[in-house]
Amino acid sequence: MSYERFLADEPVVVTAALTGGIHGKEANPNLPETPEEIGKAAGEVEAAGASVVHVHARTDNGERAFSTERFQAIDEAIRRYTDDVIVQHTTGATQAPTENRHLSLRTDPPPEMASLDMGPLNRYERLTSENTLATIDALYDEMADRGIKPELEVFNDGHLNEVHGLLDRRDLAEPVYATLIFGPGTLTRPRPGNFLNAVDNLPEGALFNTLGFGRHQLPFATMGILFGGNVRVGLEDNVYYRQGELAESNAQLVERVVRVAGELGREVADTSQARDILGL
Amino acid sequence: MTCPFLSYRKSADGATFDEARAYCEAEERFVQPMRADICNDRFDLDHAEDCEIYREHTDGGDHGSDGDHGEDDP
Repeated sequence: MSYERFLADEPVVVTAALTGGIHGKEANPNLPETPEEIGKAAGEVEAAGASVVHVHARTDNGERAFSTERFQAIDEAIRRYTDDVIVQHTTGATQAPTENRHLSLRTDPPPEMASLDMGPLNRYERLTSENTLATIDALYDEMADRGIKPELEVFNDGHLNEVHGLLDRRDLAEPVYATLIFGPGTLTRPRPGNFLNAVDNLPEGALFNTLGFGRHQLPFATMGILFGGNVRVGLEDNVYYRQGELAESNAQLVERVVRVAGELGREVADTSQARDILGL
Repeated sequence: MTCPFLSYRKSADGATFDEARAYCEAEERFVQPMRADICNDRFDLDHAEDCEIYREHTDGGDHGSDGDHGEDDP
């Protein structure tokens, strides 16, 4: 199914996850945290070939922020530094009140896309991002009301069932867009066979995005390109360029995956093509 | 009550930041922003229950100190 998209020369959509909500400058001083830094990074990754930026908010000292006002400030900075990039807000907020997770959807204008976690995820020894079905449905409903395309985040194979379940409960616009995530802990074990299995178990017609954590970012992005998917890279998911060498920027990671796509014969989607592919 | 091992520093171990960041005096390193929510007991989190680093360094008991909050503690 997906390999046909590779053979059909469908362009690959590159998403850059600029900041994240777990680590910060203590892990890599080049990770953008303030609205100004995130805006500049968005401009750099757009120039490098990313058409989507995945956005988390932070306070000035790097701690997690959830307010609509902070996302608004980030979006305004992104618009100053970019031409036409697609903004995708997170709705993740491990351990924070569920209400906080809706706040990123309420900017003016709303983001074109937002993440929607498909199930629970453990963090550290005692934290869990719960993602109950009620939470998923409530976030989806607000996205639908505000015209926001959900990016369904599949942390493990059980969440593939939840994707099918969401399609049973709600009438999602086509194409369904799911990010397959590989890494440690609750995530799908990062092995090629698991990647192929996840792709095979997506709903008919669904598009997928490929996300590998840490050292798995490059090999899984490469598989995503090769098997007709799309890719996500960035300092949220991986702070290194290669083993022992911190990445200089989000753009450095985007530039590399764009080179890989070129070598494998896939065009990288510009923002207009990405909107067509994603149905925005 | 925040974790007694928590301080806010602008610099340590050769790293310097514009804004004071959460620093764990027990581990002697800056902490991840998500972990800082545990250090600060935000969102109904309790460092004494939810932080394995705190429990390791206190053996589950009282830290017995008000903590060294560092020269850059706000």
